[in-house]
Amino acid sequence: MKKCKGLAALLLVMLPALVFAQNAVIFGKVKNESTKDLVSAVSVTIKETNLGTFTDENGTFRINLPSETKFPLTLIFSSIGYEFKEVTVAGPGEVPDVLFKQSSSLGDEVVVSATRLPTRILESPVSIERVSNTTLRNAPAANYYDVVANLKGVDMIASSLTFKTVTTRGFGASGNTRFNQIVDGMDNQAPGLNFSVGSVVGLSELDVDNMELLPGASSALYGPGGMNGTLLINSKSPFKYQGLSFQIKEGVMHVDGKYRQPSAYHNWNLRYAKKIGDRFAFKITSEFIQAKDWLAGDRRNVLRNKPGGEIIPGTRETDPNYDGINMYGDETTADIRQVLNGVAAAAPFLAPYISTLTGSPINVSRTGYSEKDVTDPNTINFKLGGSLNYKLTNNLEAVLMGYFGTGNTVYTGSERYSLRDLRVGQYKFELNHTNWMIRAYTTQENAGQSYNTTITTRLFNESWKSSPTWYTQYGQVYLNAKMNGIADIEAHNLARSQADVGRPESGSLRFNRLYDSVRSKPISEGGGLFVDRTNLYAVEGQYNLSHLTGDFAEVLVGGNFRRFVLNSEGTLFADSAGPIGINEYGAYVQITKGILNDKVKLTVSGRYDKNSNFKGRFTPRATALFKLAPNNNIRFSYQQAYRFPSTQQQWINLAVGGGILIGGVPQLKQFYNFQNNPVYSFNELSSTGQLKVQSFGEFKPEAVTSYELGYRGLVANQKLLIDAYGYYGQYQDFISRIIVLQSTTSNPQPSDIADPTKRRNLSVPVNSPTKVKTYGFGLGLEYRFKAGFFLGANATSDRISDVPPGFIAGFNAPKYRTNVTVGNNGFGKNRRMGFSVAYKWQDSFFYESDLANGSVPAFHVVDAQVSYKLPDIKSVVRIGANNLFNQYYITAMANPSIGGLYYVSFGYNIF
Amino acid sequence: MVGYTMFLLDTISFNHHRENTEQMKKLITNTFKQLIAISAIVIVASSCNKDVPDPVPNTFAKPTGSSIGTIISNTPNFSFLKAAVNRAGLMGLLLDSSKSLTLFAPDNAAFIASGIPVEAAIGTLRPGLLDTVLRYHLISQKVKAAQIPSTFPNFQYPTFINPAPSLSALLRLTTFPTTRNGAWINNIPIKGTDIEASNGVIHTVAALVTPPARFLWNRIAADPDMDYLEAAIIRADSGVAPTNAASLIGALNNIGANLTVFAPTDAAFQATLTGAIYLALLGQGLPQPDALALAQQLASTPDVFQNPALFGALSAQTVKGIVVYHLLRSRAFTNNFPTTLTSYPTLLNSAIASHPGVALQATPGVPFFTAASVKGIANATASNLLINPTPDPNGSTDQHFLNGVIHKIDQVLLPQ
Repeated sequence: MKKCKGLAALLLVMLPALVFAQNAVIFGKVKNESTKDLVSAVSVTIKETNLGTFTDENGTFRINLPSETKFPLTLIFSSIGYEFKEVTVAGPGEVPDVLFKQSSSLGDEVVVSATRLPTRILESPVSIERVSNTTLRNAPAANYYDVVANLKGVDMIASSLTFKTVTTRGFGASGNTRFNQIVDGMDNQAPGLNFSVGSVVGLSELDVDNMELLPGASSALYGPGGMNGTLLINSKSPFKYQGLSFQIKEGVMHVDGKYRQPSAYHNWNLRYAKKIGDRFAFKITSEFIQAKDWLAGDRRNVLRNKPGGEIIPGTRETDPNYDGINMYGDETTADIRQVLNGVAAAAPFLAPYISTLTGSPINVSRTGYSEKDVTDPNTINFKLGGSLNYKLTNNLEAVLMGYFGTGNTVYTGSERYSLRDLRVGQYKFELNHTNWMIRAYTTQENAGQSYNTTITTRLFNESWKSSPTWYTQYGQVYLNAKMNGIADIEAHNLARSQADVGRPESGSLRFNRLYDSVRSKPISEGGGLFVDRTNLYAVEGQYNLSHLTGDFAEVLVGGNFRRFVLNSEGTLFADSAGPIGINEYGAYVQITKGILNDKVKLTVSGRYDKNSNFKGRFTPRATALFKLAPNNNIRFSYQQAYRFPSTQQQWINLAVGGGILIGGVPQLKQFYNFQNNPVYSFNELSSTGQLKVQSFGEFKPEAVTSYELGYRGLVANQKLLIDAYGYYGQYQDFISRIIVLQSTTSNPQPSDIADPTKRRNLSVPVNSPTKVKTYGFGLGLEYRFKAGFFLGANATSDRISDVPPGFIAGFNAPKYRTNVTVGNNGFGKNRRMGFSVAYKWQDSFFYESDLANGSVPAFHVVDAQVSYKLPDIKSVVRIGANNLFNQYYITAMANPSIGGLYYVSFGYNIF
Repeated sequence: MVGYTMFLLDTISFNHHRENTEQMKKLITNTFKQLIAISAIVIVASSCNKDVPDPVPNTFAKPTGSSIGTIISNTPNFSFLKAAVNRAGLMGLLLDSSKSLTLFAPDNAAFIASGIPVEAAIGTLRPGLLDTVLRYHLISQKVKAAQIPSTFPNFQYPTFINPAPSLSALLRLTTFPTTRNGAWINNIPIKGTDIEASNGVIHTVAALVTPPARFLWNRIAADPDMDYLEAAIIRADSGVAPTNAASLIGALNNIGANLTVFAPTDAAFQATLTGAIYLALLGQGLPQPDALALAQQLASTPDVFQNPALFGALSAQTVKGIVVYHLLRSRAFTNNFPTTLTSYPTLLNSAIASHPGVALQATPGVPFFTAASVKGIANATASNLLINPTPDPNGSTDQHFLNGVIHKIDQVLLPQ
């Protein structure tokens, strides 16, 4: 006791901030029962109070007791992966070492996102997947985000090493606007660029506490956007996880030199968190990744006869109009008959001969460059984040948090984009009360030096030799060669080699200087740079009324307001006159009630949203959970989900190679004077040759209605966790683009439309009248062996039906995919060894996008790691491999071939 | 790859043997079996990922059969041609199976008909000359007989001769095959057609097709029987320098032009001019005999066009109108004339679009046309072509030049 008081006195001297009534403390250590290693981040609470703390990085805890504390009291120790433990404490002072026993139980995880309330995963009324930090720590993936790919039903599309996009239940795309990603409560879709930046910006690996994935429709709780699912990533509280942690991962990629020379992979992580006193804690996190990116090297030839075109035979050497999928600049095409006819006009003696060559179009494309030539090979990702947390009361915590990410990466949209010096910051202030929450945040986006590789390379080609000059040279050399009896394709190739005289060699000083000058000029000024400083401001709140309504039902209400401020200086949006604001607001209510002795738990939710440019919309959700037996539950849900058109679909105004992309808001149709200068359907003209004025209906959100039935339960003596589901969904009002033609003359006439020199193409988003159905199922099994060995396996299937011929749904999901994971987080002497192996297979599928359509081959990937713990220095050493067998695969058309990544890592104080 | 996995398995196994209990061993063994099974599946499965497929090159039909060079080398009736081709150094081109060619091949008889009586004589000819002549027999695409048009004017194909490479790489002397009234190249009959070769097709011709070497103006200026025509052209060009491309002389000297000149003989001009001046003098009240004598005297030399006293009657405009009425904007060899009277526009139509032009007609004969005529709209009768296809400068019809063809006629064509 005396010693105790002395220590307390010492603390008072050392920490003057804490000089308020502290009568007594209890403190102690938590150790792993079998290894005797100290266990950090264990929740320690005093039973029947809201007092508590977590063990720090040294496994120690300390609770200052209020004066009215009565002994004996009971301490509750809990942590995922350990068995729950209660310890009775007779009086203040040091508690004997608490021995914490690792558990091998399944299904004890708690999820929040399914109902916005903590729920045992077994009792979630909708399908949900959770990745705990234990899983993350031991996953073989080189980057935490990749772990999501091994979850049930997930498709991950990798645009590059650091740019990955997840989706569930189909409709995968690099910029997936039908899938929400929420990081610490903040929607992290880049507000202007419309892709989720979770793998680029956002949390540093060591700061990820857990990830929760809601497959399927989820906008009833999370707002517009989550038509296909929502991924929520949550960071570690600085109160719970403390101390300095770092991890250095060094690896090698491109080991076989197929796409690049072998190169290094660096991934460094740092996190420091500290609790100061009982009320204040802070953290700083950072991550740095640098590597030579995977290369998209699909050189197959595309015939651009429809969005995304189709793959046809042909190479640069065997097709004069070759347009390689991952070749850039060869999208510029022209019919050299113009040149030949020009020669014929100037030299009539050649005219009859030339007429024998010009019976049909002679389309020729400019010479392209490969991805390696036009994108920065260095992928860099730097993240910096942190938070200040202050407990205003035991029930109320204030959090000021920020994440900033920058770097170079490559993204696939309608073209490949080199995102250079992309900067996205998310900053929030949040008040978290036991019963309510209010949060204000902003997403600050800056596209930096990002550019569209296709536009840029096409313009680059124009800058070293303009197309009129190039095609004239080409046509003349071609004709000359033809007049020398040279075979047609050789005449083309000779013409190309002559027209390409002076073509800058990729990587040369001249190439770089020219290329840099084009890519650094904004698109609006004839360059490839897109300027984008679009921001999002959001406020949201939630109140859990259950403490008032508990007798009747659990009731949750919430609401949010968002304001997008589009700011691209006229380069991306129609905002040359100044930033454009778009407001969205919404509110939701959820009522949960157990009936039949809580055997059945019913939840009804409803949400209403309104966007400045669209009518208000109500989305319902109803779920039912049937408790068949302890730990055996059947779930059923009905949900609607929808999304407002993305900011680009609303307000884009971007001239691209073949025309102008415009948004769907009426203001843009007015701007382009659709009323007085009618636009004509391109489809109609090209299919029937008729001129038909295109009419436009109301532009509205697209929507899905989804039903799901599932079962989750523990069987085989609680050793086997089974999760199975089936779903059915119907999509309507798909947002797609149509091409219309409009006269460019001062006195528009319908006859102008037939003349390519007197018309322009406009691409306008519309709602498709087509409805499609999707359905699928999934089965997941997890088995815990003794001694910590685990085996997980899942298989899922997603399908689409009722797709009319010619309709491009972009479903982009394999019919079947499966994952198998085996591992052990601690075995061998003192449980120092760990390993895990993850195997993924997915079937081939047909991928559709604006950039390319084609079959993505089936692939198998094996990731594996082995680790060894060094408890004396709180460290772990790991050797791992992603794509162990270096078997290249692609996840989507036009996306890079991903090979093996082999690494060793050293981690300190990783929890 | 397999080694890597085995290492991983070994490591696990190594550590596991240290565990003590039998139960643990059993468990590990079981786990292990599963692991190995999975690993095995993985190893088998992983060996078959498909990376992005390589693009499939377009394929082009491989030429089959013998090349033109081989055929002429192996055909006895082409032995003169073979010798000529070899001497000219053109065999490589004809053997090149990647090319696409049409050869108008003179057989041995054609050589003899063209004044080369024996094969040995070829050895005495300058290779450069042979090269030029033979290149004129080659066109740069495969044109089978059926593809040779029968339209008027003659369809023209570029040959392998660029007369002025320094001017433009695209210059070519053209040749004029036609299937009108038989089959011809320029005015040389085609004897045999469609000998298929891997690199094109061969048609045999009855004589060597001589490439033109001079411009129309060279002949008009030099021919003693075209002095009036020459003077008329100079008069028509009054005020426009001959170096000006818009001048008639400019056109007649321009490699890019493609004309047919109906060249009235001096006698024809004299007759027409005498008549016209006579009528004009009568109109001025001159007595008939004096008028005739004066008209004959005035029209007796080509200087008549420069006589200021006649500038009223023979204004530059009037003369030009008459001259351009003698020019077709295309190359009409006699063999390509219509056999029934047909009107064609002349250069006059550039000024008077609706002008009916001149009417052409020919009587086919063997080997050359025996009679042909051209009729001006205001002429009472048709002008006859003075048939003599002996190559320039000695003939009077089908005189072929770099920029056109000349036919002498016996009347001046009158446009109105």
